[in-house]
Amino acid sequence: MRKIINLNTNLKNSIGGNSIRKISDPWASIGTILGQTSIDDYSFHLKKFKAKKGDIVAAEAKQPTGDGRVVEVIVWGRIMEIISSNEFLPNEAAKELTEGNISIQDTILPLTKNDAICTVKNLGYTTNDPGQKLSLMPLNYPVYPGGAVKYPASKDLESLLNTDMKGKNPIFIGNLVARRDVDVQVSADNMVSRHVLVIGMTGSGKSVWVRRAVRELMVKQYPILIIDPHGDNLGIVQKATKLFPNHKIKLFYPKISASENNKEVIYTLIERLGNKLTEPQYDFLNWVLTKTDYEPGTSLIQYISILIQKSNAAAENKRNKSTKSSDGPGNTGASTMGVVSRSLRKVYSKLKEMEQSNISNRNKYPHLKFEELPDPYSQPEKIIQKSQVSILYLKGYESLPSSTIVSILLESLFNHRSAGNRTIPPFFTVLEEAQNFIPSKSEGQDGYPSVSTIKKIATEGRKFGTGLMLVSQRPYRLDETVCAQMNSYIILRLKNERDQRFVKNTMENWDNEEAKQLPNFANGQGIVSGQITNLPLTVQIKFDDDLTNDDIGDENFISDVQNWKESSENKKKRELSKDFDEVFDVDKRKPH
Amino acid sequence: MQNINLKNKKKSSLFANFVNNVIHKPSPEVQKNFMDVSLKIAGTIKKICEDEKLIINIPYQGKNFWNKGKNYESCFVDGGVFSSVESSSAPFAIRSKSYIVKPTNPLTDREKFEETIAYMGDLYDSKNNIYDLSEDPYEDNQLLNKKKDAARIIFEIACLVKHVFDKQKFDFCFLHGPLQTPVMPFSGPEFPQFKKQVVKNILPFLNFDKKEEKINERHFINIYFQSIQFLLNSKFPIYGIVERTNSSVYLKNLLFRSFKKGKVAENDYNKMLSTMIRYKINDGNLFSLILSDCQALRPLEVDKQIPTRGLGGFSEWETQITSFPKIHVGYLKTNSHQAPIRVESLKKSKDLIKDYEYILASSKLLPNYGFPAGLDVVDKAAKIPAWLGRAAKSYYSKYYLDLAIESKNSKNISSALKMLQGGRVWRNRPKAGKVKK
Ligand SMILES: Nc1ncnc2c1ncn2[C@@H]1O[C@H](COP(=O)(O)OP(=O)(O)O)[C@@H](O)[C@H]1O
Ligand SMILES: [Mg+2]
Repeated sequence: MRKIINLNTNLKNSIGGNSIRKISDPWASIGTILGQTSIDDYSFHLKKFKAKKGDIVAAEAKQPTGDGRVVEVIVWGRIMEIISSNEFLPNEAAKELTEGNISIQDTILPLTKNDAICTVKNLGYTTNDPGQKLSLMPLNYPVYPGGAVKYPASKDLESLLNTDMKGKNPIFIGNLVARRDVDVQVSADNMVSRHVLVIGMTGSGKSVWVRRAVRELMVKQYPILIIDPHGDNLGIVQKATKLFPNHKIKLFYPKISASENNKEVIYTLIERLGNKLTEPQYDFLNWVLTKTDYEPGTSLIQYISILIQKSNAAAENKRNKSTKSSDGPGNTGASTMGVVSRSLRKVYSKLKEMEQSNISNRNKYPHLKFEELPDPYSQPEKIIQKSQVSILYLKGYESLPSSTIVSILLESLFNHRSAGNRTIPPFFTVLEEAQNFIPSKSEGQDGYPSVSTIKKIATEGRKFGTGLMLVSQRPYRLDETVCAQMNSYIILRLKNERDQRFVKNTMENWDNEEAKQLPNFANGQGIVSGQITNLPLTVQIKFDDDLTNDDIGDENFISDVQNWKESSENKKKRELSKDFDEVFDVDKRKPH
Repeated sequence: MQNINLKNKKKSSLFANFVNNVIHKPSPEVQKNFMDVSLKIAGTIKKICEDEKLIINIPYQGKNFWNKGKNYESCFVDGGVFSSVESSSAPFAIRSKSYIVKPTNPLTDREKFEETIAYMGDLYDSKNNIYDLSEDPYEDNQLLNKKKDAARIIFEIACLVKHVFDKQKFDFCFLHGPLQTPVMPFSGPEFPQFKKQVVKNILPFLNFDKKEEKINERHFINIYFQSIQFLLNSKFPIYGIVERTNSSVYLKNLLFRSFKKGKVAENDYNKMLSTMIRYKINDGNLFSLILSDCQALRPLEVDKQIPTRGLGGFSEWETQITSFPKIHVGYLKTNSHQAPIRVESLKKSKDLIKDYEYILASSKLLPNYGFPAGLDVVDKAAKIPAWLGRAAKSYYSKYYLDLAIESKNSKNISSALKMLQGGRVWRNRPKAGKVKK
């Protein structure tokens, strides 16, 4: 009498043969592969609690090779989903337990019959030679049903994830979310020579990641430029200065300036910030612009004030019937000139206002030293230098002027690099609030000067060592062509539907299962994928608590109020107003 | 009559189903007439039951019950059969499982799923067969089905036997299905014996090795009889629970008892029986009308084995068939909308209320299904899933192929291959006798 109980083992032997070698003895066996498998995925029956969602697991398998052999391999995969079920617990029983307030423990219902079925997405295979380095290759044959699934030892997993990192300047970024004991490294070489897109909703940990990356690059003395519209990075300045005493950490505020060959930028600025002009008015504006020399690198605000003077003078002349041909194209009337002058005044005062706002924001940090941004044409080395971090503080400036400033700055730095005259070393740019600089066309913000600059850097930067890290909390508002040039991604928590859709559309090999976890990430958890890593990984980014923002911590209104000291003027005012009230009380003549 | 609340009964889906099932496309008059008859019979039977004090109320206290119920150790038994979709294609697998649970034990020891006995093989083949067949009979499906049934019944009873044989100590033991099946249908001359190996393996108390074998000693009827006799030694109560029934064994016995006691006139008795037959009244549908939720009928001791005269006179099995022990049959209504479940036992229960309370509480865990949860569990566990069945089949077929290849007989090989391909024609069956192991 044969018992069917033995059947499974018999079947296994007949399929697998005795020749299957164990991957590595200490790897725990955690389950058995189920009926149907494919190149992309498989499912397996999991031993209770032996693995969890997101874990990387290994299956023994065989792969046919190009030369007709069959080799034993390890197939690596990620657990995408676990479904636990107890077919012995019908819904009506659960309902009865609830309604009768009965504990299942007390009844004859079974407790031990939960089945966990895992779905695994294959990542690739490695050969099963202990001596060989672990590098992943694409599968060409599915794993076999009935095969064992193993839980790889941390050190083996770590070496798989970080293979080939040596010589690529690995930097430690954090640990696998599913396995905190596994360190994750990314290649600094790939990060600075290519481009990284960092997305996540507010508070998801973008700035923490930026700090991590910046810190590691600082260790490597790499020049860094941070474009910081909100001042998210000011908080680290003092601590970083202490941690890196030999580094220069520079805080810049912008000077709006342009180059000779970039009068277009000025034109755009005036066009966008000023009033809407008619054809003849534009003609006149053009005329003034060409007639007025601009010294590259000088303040644009000053230049605009010269333009105002010129157009006022021209109008004056017109009114005085003076008909010198140099006072305007054709027969421009004095009123046309007046309109242009008024528009220029508007631009002037707007820019002044933003400048002022930037100043008062800077004044909130009396302990920090801000310098005017040096002219990137003549003095790029003051911005980009070995062991220097330059932070450009843009708070107060609206997005168009910000875009102009950034466009001019990056364009110029990029030109220095592409000219190949070694005025500045390779450098890495971090662009916070990237949606302000590369708005998608659908945002109706076309004509932002920074779009074309960044597009150029994104496409050609690799050759010249001008890597970008774009940081945004609104990915769907980013320019698509720029995003398409990004080749590494840090994707933190995203709850917005449109942002999630953006991720699905932008990234190749993006899985719906992976998208599902986006809204549920905790702070600092995210997917790291692309060229900076060997495998897409769900990582808990390391939090550099020695670089925390104590200068501008999270808003804490409650303690703010508790520590609130009323100004002495206010106190007096209230005191006096009581006295006044008494006076008014006795005033019999006050009108009714 | 006034005791039957027609309004409520009419609402229940059970009643509607029952009406629909009994009469195809009933016209309104037919329906009404059927209802009238059913209710009249129900009213009368209820009176008899009350007179005999057969209706008992079983307390059900939910959480409070399980506070004491958790201390009992129970064993639930069921069998599972797999046979290929084509009913005449034979490789098949069969097993019985026990679900043994004692809620208060620590989790590691709280519940056990035992595969008490299992077998896979071929119903036909003389070499690897569950039955002893010398010839290749042109079997009809009816006989094949009987053989499958007999095999399942024996495997289930053998499971109970094993627990008694092993002197296991349960507070309760339940079988999914009747404790005794009428054996008459298996008494035909063509019905084969079980193989010695099979019987020896599954029914260890039957020691065939030591003694001279009698004719038909391994026949289903005999070993079933022996097994049931053996179960009478049990130190724990064993119940068979039947969820659906067309049987009218209780009704008939009840009427017969009253008739014998002189409480029902002979004329009335006969008329009632024939009305019941005409209207297809059975225990299930009638007691649905009489019992309320949590009510039970005290068991009656009934004889399930009634030899009938076949074409060729009484079967040779008559003596044994009539010596099967009587069996106690009761009903328990476990919810308001299902027919009562039938509860069978070989012996009179020592504490009827306690036992019924346990069965009721177990059924209340599945309030809609109204069947003991432990039996539902073991039913699912014992079922041989299609994949396992298929695996068994291909494993078995491959085993044949290996044997055939070993024999180097091309005819054997080709027929084994045919079998592997799934289709199976009896003419191509390998002559297993020629294949050496
Ligand atoms: N990797 C991390 N580990 C631990 N906490 C983190 C991590 N990343 C972010 N946080 C927490 O979340 C807060 C917000 O992170 P932050 O980087 O400022 O968000 P974002 O820049 O995306 O708006 C941090 O102050 C910190 O408390
Ligand atoms: Mg931030």
